Amino acid sequence: MSERYSRQGFLGEAGQRAIETARVCINGLGGGGSIVAPELAHLGVQNFVLYDPDHGDESNLNRTMTLTEADVTAGTLKIEAARRRILEINPRAKIEVHSCRWQDRPKALDGSTLVMGCVDSFSERQQIEACCRRLLVPYIDIGMDVHAGDPPAMSGQIILSAPGGPCMFCMHFLTEAKIGREVANYGAAGGKPQVVWANGVLASTAVGIAVNILTGWAKGSPPIYLQYKGNGGTLEPHIRLGYLAPGPCPHYPLDQAGEPAFVKV
Amino acid sequence: MPITIRLPRDLYQGVLADLRRPHAHAAERIGFIYGRFVPGDQPLVVMTRYVPVPDEQYVVDDTVGARINGDAIRAAMQGVLDTREGVFHTHLHEWPGTPWFSRTDDEELPRLIPAFRAVGPTQATGLFLLSPDSAIADVWLPGAQGPERVVRISIV
Repeated sequence: MSERYSRQGFLGEAGQRAIETARVCINGLGGGGSIVAPELAHLGVQNFVLYDPDHGDESNLNRTMTLTEADVTAGTLKIEAARRRILEINPRAKIEVHSCRWQDRPKALDGSTLVMGCVDSFSERQQIEACCRRLLVPYIDIGMDVHAGDPPAMSGQIILSAPGGPCMFCMHFLTEAKIGREVANYGAAGGKPQVVWANGVLASTAVGIAVNILTGWAKGSPPIYLQYKGNGGTLEPHIRLGYLAPGPCPHYPLDQAGEPAFVKV
Repeated sequence: MPITIRLPRDLYQGVLADLRRPHAHAAERIGFIYGRFVPGDQPLVVMTRYVPVPDEQYVVDDTVGARINGDAIRAAMQGVLDTREGVFHTHLHEWPGTPWFSRTDDEELPRLIPAFRAVGPTQATGLFLLSPDSAIADVWLPGAQGPERVVRISIV
């Protein structure tokens, strides 16, 4: 193992090779994605696919780790800021950037070993999860929110939606009602509260799950639904895991994987 | 083009368990894994199900590890027609590490492929060989002249 990765030698030679040959797609290079991307680069991920249509703005500077004040002035795209940071860490990284929503160029996602979702919309999560389940790609989602109150209540989640396992609908994180309310409020939602330290917890934990998936170093299944309680600073399995319906995921059955096809009935 | 196969973990473990079952006269077992082809610059085959060859469809032939009869081939072809999925002849070599196709495998298995491709011309078809801890696969993509060795098999 090279000197660069000698401190993560416990992942094993095969594990390090799995990291270096993986192709990781990151959807969203804002608060969460701007932490995920450099962490993966530090670990040795060489191949990235990045999706984000946005330019950095003033309100991103409180948490988007790859953006600088100069970027905001220059109107730098978030994907370009992320690419720059990844290449500073590893100039040999191969980075495919798409300054659009992934739905506008979905084929780039096909060859991904895993997908990290760092967006703040339920419907966006539902759509990319559906694509990942169809392609049998593990999908790791992160997000946070701060609810009004005295004091405000900070919460977040890290969810792993893996082929064969429960999906975000199974875990009741996504519901048709939530997606419907979001669609109904479109344009009125405004920016959701986000802070760098919570994003850091969520992003780093998601990266740890990704490494576990790629390397198997922990020799056990990674957690699939962790709840972050920001006020107390705790991260624990979500209580909903105790209420999962038995049996395989009914929302994304295996016989519906792959490209759609006509079959006789 | 680098081809990837994705195989759900439960399916993979089920395949291994089935292929390890003893048979009355065959030294090896054979099954068929079905998968859906996702075309693109990074072609992908997502495996969806496994169908073992029933015991009675093996031919008594002690010159080879296992030989299956025409009923088994016809059933695999029907599976392709019924589901529009591609099919992969699957067996296991029980020594650890990266497996390799035997001389008999190389001589005989590719002869199955034209029949499968005829009924599933838009799907990927091929040969899948497992070991206790590894696997290889040769894939005939739609329209391709010959097989390509898969670069990555992911158990997901």
